[in-house]
Amino acid sequence: MMTQTSEALAPAIDRTAARTFDPLSKVGDEQAFRQEIRDWLAAVLPADWRKQWQQTRESDLRGVMTWWLEERRKVGLATPHWPKAWGGPGISFAYQIMVYEELSRADAPELDIFTISLFHTPATLFEHGTQDQIDRYLGGITQGTDIWCQGFSEPGAGSDLASLRTAAIRDGDDYIVNGQKIWSSSSMHADYCLLLARTDPNGKRKHDGISYFIMDMKSPGITVRPIRQITGESEFAEVFMDDVRIPAKNLIGAEGNGWNIAQSTLSTERGLLIFGSTERLARSFALDRVDAKDSWMRDVGLRREYAGFYAELQAIRLMVRRLLAELEANPEKASPTLPTFIKLNWGPFLQSYSEFLVRAEGLEAQKWQPSIPGTGHSSRLRFNDFLKSYGWTVAGGSNEIMRNIISERILAMPRG
Amino acid sequence: MSDEFDLDVLAESFSEFLEGEWPKEKAIAYERSDQSYDADLWSAMAGLGWTALTAPEAEGGLGLGTAAAAHLHAALGAAVTPTPMLGTLLATTLLGATGAEGARGLLAGIIDGSLRVAVAEPNAVPVQTDGKTISGTARDLLDAPGANLLLVRIALAGQPGWVAIDADAPGVSIHRYTLADTTRSLGDVTLDNVQIGEGRLIRPTAGAALDDLLTRQACVAIAADSLGGGEAVLKITIEYMKVREQFGRLIGSFQALKHRVADHHAALVGARELVLNAATIPDDDDGALLAALSTKAHVAAVTADIARDCIQLHGGVGFTSEFSPHLYLKRAKLNEALYGTRTAILDRVADMLEAA
Ligand SMILES: Cc1cc2nc3c(=O)[nH]c(=O)nc-3n(C[C@H](O)[C@H](O)[C@H](O)COP(=O)(O)OP(=O)(O)OC[C@H]3O[C@@H](n4cnc5c(N)ncnc54)[C@H](O)[C@@H]3O)c2cc1C
Repeated sequence: MMTQTSEALAPAIDRTAARTFDPLSKVGDEQAFRQEIRDWLAAVLPADWRKQWQQTRESDLRGVMTWWLEERRKVGLATPHWPKAWGGPGISFAYQIMVYEELSRADAPELDIFTISLFHTPATLFEHGTQDQIDRYLGGITQGTDIWCQGFSEPGAGSDLASLRTAAIRDGDDYIVNGQKIWSSSSMHADYCLLLARTDPNGKRKHDGISYFIMDMKSPGITVRPIRQITGESEFAEVFMDDVRIPAKNLIGAEGNGWNIAQSTLSTERGLLIFGSTERLARSFALDRVDAKDSWMRDVGLRREYAGFYAELQAIRLMVRRLLAELEANPEKASPTLPTFIKLNWGPFLQSYSEFLVRAEGLEAQKWQPSIPGTGHSSRLRFNDFLKSYGWTVAGGSNEIMRNIISERILAMPRG
Repeated sequence: MSDEFDLDVLAESFSEFLEGEWPKEKAIAYERSDQSYDADLWSAMAGLGWTALTAPEAEGGLGLGTAAAAHLHAALGAAVTPTPMLGTLLATTLLGATGAEGARGLLAGIIDGSLRVAVAEPNAVPVQTDGKTISGTARDLLDAPGANLLLVRIALAGQPGWVAIDADAPGVSIHRYTLADTTRSLGDVTLDNVQIGEGRLIRPTAGAALDDLLTRQACVAIAADSLGGGEAVLKITIEYMKVREQFGRLIGSFQALKHRVADHHAALVGARELVLNAATIPDDDDGALLAALSTKAHVAAVTADIARDCIQLHGGVGFTSEFSPHLYLKRAKLNEALYGTRTAILDRVADMLEAA
């Protein structure tokens, strides 16, 4: 699917001279595999994509991101982390890691608005979905036609997600849903929503009676109101549901089992998703000192502060690599606690390092620029990156909730 | 006049007026407005005599000192106002100190608020001039985009000074930078063969002393602005923590959160002492500059970190532009960068401590 925008964004390369690329055919030869990805990236990725995407307004965002997903799909790398059974390439972790390393190395765009589609949806469907659901929905993701969002949080249920109140009441072959979701990233672009709703208000514990649905965002009764963030963009939205009908066949797993399924959705946030971000940050971390070689790297205090961040970042990268190695060896035996430790290191690190850069660069860092889609937490626009760091300290379980989990569940400290 | 009494009453009147005239909803809405200052708020302030605060009584001002200015700036910081009052304070000092008639004559416009002044920092790279015309660029001049008078740092025959230039004079162009903190902006002022008006050249006899005085006043005002901002954002956050419930409890009851708030509060109590002290040291006291610089570096950093944490304490709503904590964070971060970054200021403080 090429929109006009994406057409305009395609690099001006000589198509007759362009060869086709097939990195997957090189699996088995690491050097050749990496080289093929490098050659492919050099051929398809415009050197100034950041500048072009920065000028992309919110309405065109889908176009440019879809273009990039399509380029990746052409060489079999739309979903490098998916197994064959999901329609992915089924390459080993070692090769998945190489893909992400090469994408980061070349500063290739991240597919922000496809995050839920590429990570959360397949993880959820493959573990808990029916074959029908898998067949029906995964194609739209690999083809880049469908965007998914996650409808978990509510105004009254953030950290305390289990207290959510959106109600789904069975009515014949449907459920009728009423309620409100909030902070749902990319929901204004979304075709489908992973929705948590309460099917039984009389459960013994508040975790009981929650069910997990696939909600078609085009259903009558849905209103989406974008929320403006402190960064100036609107990447998330409120979703209001007024008598929305969801067919019962869109229930994922058993009725009332939504809470457990949600845990597997959330745990995916902490594996490869973090890996991509940390590698990208490692790249910009290295660039930061080069760019500052005649400015703050000459200041002894700032230089030392920068050097101090090095080991912090390395610690996180090493933890992520350990997690990936464990997952590869045996997903059943991978450490259940490591993802929590990674998140609690990563969020605060990201915030303090990005804050450091704002401070080190003085007035220059105060000058405002529109953010650059596809650059994640490494846009290198200092103030934007600093503000966006709350995405990791608040979203998906805040720092404080991570600390509660570690102290109470992992370290078995008495509950406060 | 009993200064003590007057100042407390004055401080209260500043806050009271701003609570009515510039409530949070206005501050939040202003953030998207893409203006360089708020004209209505500015004229209301001028009408109340706030722009006349430190101007000499003989010129029609109120003749109050740096302490009064500190109270004003604390109130402005608390209300996150988009008003170029720092320029007013510094221009009043600068023009009041000169014998140049043309420049002195501008005081009336500053006092009545019709002039909004952008004043270059004393350590800005000077623009060279022969005293008759001036060409060059003054970079990153605070509040220049909304100003109608520019006080540009110059060098004339190797001597530092200032020149007062009308923003609409032929040959003047201003490139505006929007900042993360939209209550203020920066401008690169390009001067292309601009004529220097009669008596518009300010060539201080005691150059360094005037520079120090301006730096001192700016640092006190910025520290006060940060203090007001820090106190206000913490208050808002505490109020929120007393109404927001999760897990069937007010989030303010979680020790992990309330201890942080307690730390912030204690830090601000100390910060307030520093600002009051720095603001009340007489201008000619040797310790005035040291107190101002060290206070500015400390209080700006304290508030920047408190504002950062206040967003975290709010959770998701803190990440939306519909709540106010981010306004304070952005203003606090700009305050940290103005009049020398922390690094530059602390180097100077260290030198002063060693020399003392
Ligand atoms: C950028 C971003 C993207 C997001 N994307 C999505 C999305 O796509 N889908 C979705 O469903 N949600 C999304 N969220 C929502 C996110 O998961 C919630 O914001 C988060 O769970 C916190 O909930 P809350 O905002 O209600 O804050 P609250 O839970 O009200 O928290 C307020 C403060 O209280 C603290 N607190 C709460 N409970 C405790 C406790 N027991 N002990 C100590 N401290 C506590 C919190 O840590 C926080 O500091 C997103 C949020 C952000 C910021």
